[in-house]
Amino acid sequence: MSPLLSILVRALLALLLMLANGVVLIYMLRKVLGHLHLRIGPNRVGPFGALQTSMDVVKLLTKEDFIPSAADKWLFRLAPYMVFVPSFMAYAALVLGPKAAFSGLDTGLLYVFAVLALVPMGVMMAGWASNSKWSLIGGMRAAAQQISYEVPLLLSVLPIVMTAGSMSLAAIVKSQTGYALGFIPRWNVLSPQIVGFGLFMIAALAELNQTPFDMSEAESELISGFANEYSGMRFGLLFLSEFSNSFIISALAATLFFGGWLVPGIDPASPVMVWLGPAVLLLKTYVGIFVLMWIRGTLPRIRIDQMLALGWKALIPASLVWLMLTGVIVRAVS
Amino acid sequence: MSSAALSSALSAAGVPAEVSEEAIGAVARVPASDLVEALTALRDADCAFAMLIDLFGVDTGEQLELTYHLRSFARDEDAYVRVAAPYDGEVPSAWRVYPSALYPEREAAELFGLTFPGHPNLKRLLTTDEVELPLLRRSTAIRTQEEVHDR
Amino acid sequence: MTPEELSQARITPEGEAPAIVLPKGLRRVPRGVDELATEHLIVNMGPQHPSTHGVLHILLELDGEEIIAAEASLGYLHRGIEKLAEHRRYSAVGTLLDRADYISGIHTELALAQATEQLMGIEVPEKAQWLRSLFSEIVRIASHLIAIGTYGMDIGAMAPFLYIMREREALLSVLESVTGARMMFNYVRPGGVLRDLTPEAEPLLRQFLKTFPGYLEEYHTLLTGNEIFQARVKGVGVIDRATAIAFGMSGPPLRASGFGWDVRKERPYAAYEQLRFDVPVGESGDCWDRYLVRMEEMRIAAELIEQCLDGMPEGDVMAKVPKVLKPPAGEAYSAVESPRGEVGIHLVSDGTDTPYRVHLRAPSLMNLAVVDEVMPGHKIADSVAIIGSLDIVLGEIDR
Repeated sequence: MSPLLSILVRALLALLLMLANGVVLIYMLRKVLGHLHLRIGPNRVGPFGALQTSMDVVKLLTKEDFIPSAADKWLFRLAPYMVFVPSFMAYAALVLGPKAAFSGLDTGLLYVFAVLALVPMGVMMAGWASNSKWSLIGGMRAAAQQISYEVPLLLSVLPIVMTAGSMSLAAIVKSQTGYALGFIPRWNVLSPQIVGFGLFMIAALAELNQTPFDMSEAESELISGFANEYSGMRFGLLFLSEFSNSFIISALAATLFFGGWLVPGIDPASPVMVWLGPAVLLLKTYVGIFVLMWIRGTLPRIRIDQMLALGWKALIPASLVWLMLTGVIVRAVS
Repeated sequence: MSSAALSSALSAAGVPAEVSEEAIGAVARVPASDLVEALTALRDADCAFAMLIDLFGVDTGEQLELTYHLRSFARDEDAYVRVAAPYDGEVPSAWRVYPSALYPEREAAELFGLTFPGHPNLKRLLTTDEVELPLLRRSTAIRTQEEVHDR
Repeated sequence: MTPEELSQARITPEGEAPAIVLPKGLRRVPRGVDELATEHLIVNMGPQHPSTHGVLHILLELDGEEIIAAEASLGYLHRGIEKLAEHRRYSAVGTLLDRADYISGIHTELALAQATEQLMGIEVPEKAQWLRSLFSEIVRIASHLIAIGTYGMDIGAMAPFLYIMREREALLSVLESVTGARMMFNYVRPGGVLRDLTPEAEPLLRQFLKTFPGYLEEYHTLLTGNEIFQARVKGVGVIDRATAIAFGMSGPPLRASGFGWDVRKERPYAAYEQLRFDVPVGESGDCWDRYLVRMEEMRIAAELIEQCLDGMPEGDVMAKVPKVLKPPAGEAYSAVESPRGEVGIHLVSDGTDTPYRVHLRAPSLMNLAVVDEVMPGHKIADSVAIIGSLDIVLGEIDR
């Protein structure tokens, strides 16, 4: 296979994964939230309402292509792609199994955060271009949130990079093989790095625009924030990238802290892992997403100033201290 | 008992008032020009009518009557101050004495066609700009002649 | 370099702008104007907004996230109830007033019935009085449940709103079985009430009373104990006692400000004189206190329902009243404690079969007036918390 074709096939596979995830996750969100809220969720289209999201996609695609007359037309059209493309690009770094990766990036971790850092730019663009005051406030909030939470998010994963000695996601997974005391898997979450996991979790919630940090959407305050004026497939893209981001962050959490595609009790080198690995990683990721949805269904929203204070005054110092401690320990052990 | 307290407080403030005991309680009728003094006196005197519960208008057919419903927590009783105003007339705003008069005064102004000099923001409260008639006056019909005819 | 010097330095010494040709479309900053100058943003919050509890419209002047000034703009739901009431017979006015405070219509009905009875001198049978108290409290819980649920929603928690529907459903099925309606009851009428409790109503209520304390505990876990919720409401929207009295507030917002005035206690009506209950009072008058007062009132209301069921006397539910009510000329004022505060009906009769003037003292309207005063200095998110904590119903404000 020529390298170009191979890249194209992988990109298509990543796109397929992303779209499939979108459809599955939206259905899952509705069902999970429904049952958390003592209601049923979709149950009319298809068995158990499983075709509801597909039908919604059809609806979004056939909706009128509407742009507010006062909007900045070009930016308004561009913004959904500015949100969608980085979140699609992030898939490139995912390591699904021992022999399954979209690309073997050596600095996969850095790459994921670098492309995800572009998402809020699109959000801000959407907020600005809509020329609506609520959207503008939403976009500005996204920017403030981004600046204050990108830092602790990166700082919280740096200790993992230190212990693994690499920024490659495959190497980080490999570093988690083996057992402590003979039976506890050497997953980072079962080591002192659970502190880092806590920091990562909070920062990731903010990064994902998830409750309790869904500032830029803030349904009860800003109506729908930056997405206010969007409809049809443009809104669909914004929505989709939100879900794909939560997939990426959950997959990252699974990779960094929960041993990636490793299964306790099965030799990572055994041939069965070639297909079991990706399935296990998907399972772990979906458990992570379920937790995100659980949080979304339960917690109220924090206020913007409280959120920024939490980021700058608590999370960043805490992750710095944790980074330093890990550094000292890693140095002392080696 | 209540009317006695009312008239003594009002006469101490030098407000000409006509106090009577009616079915709803003690009612003091004061001239519109003395309204603010009367309310200030009632709020600050011993009887301490601390709260303006409500303010509403009635169209008697000859004039408009505004009723200020006051409540004293110290004496645990209610009293009413009543002001008469001609149609399209003026009644001084009571909001500096009782801020709770702000909204009801706006309402009375638009629904009875009164003005309240001194009110900081005498915009319409409930109706839109197209509604020109003072709706709560007796002379305003709920349906126009044509609408009645159509039925 | 001080800011003044900095802005001076931007202008060339000759006082002329440098002749730079800007790319087409780029706005040129006028000379001497600070490029970083900001301006206030005026946003329309409502009438279509998820958290204004109906069609409330508030104009907010914002400096970034901070509210500089707020002004409520009302009237989107004005139906002219007071005017229409002048053209209806007394028995039909209740149906109009049901639609004023549509979440707790029974209290407005009750105020009207009492005012009419005062004018006509009707003696209401004791059983009817107890039923009035019973249904007042049932509706109070149903209304407070909505208040708490939507409040959670305002703060961002979706779950409580859907959980409250479970209890509300139980209460509404009682109301449906007795009054035949789930919202606009028209149950309380001059002279008594429509009908006695149906056979299935009491078991339903007893069942509700058994489960309700546990459910109330659930809300305390979901909201009261939640750190984020506390951070959002504690110290927000403080209305001190003097302000509350000056603005004529009543109901839970007044009591949360530390002033325990409750119409049920101070001017007992229906069967409240025979019932034992406490009036919860807050301390600081912030959103947190208003929330807690409502939670506590729900607990007390459940106790009152039990007392009403236990002490329910036997007898008629309706006094002998003429088919067409013609009260003698006169005036009457009757107040009841609705979940939102003191609902008063001021009734003027001219001796005919239609009222001469019906005035509804709407507690939501009086409670709302304070918003313009309280909001400045808070964040946008707090505006939602403040409106929600006042628990207004637009049907009653706009009438």
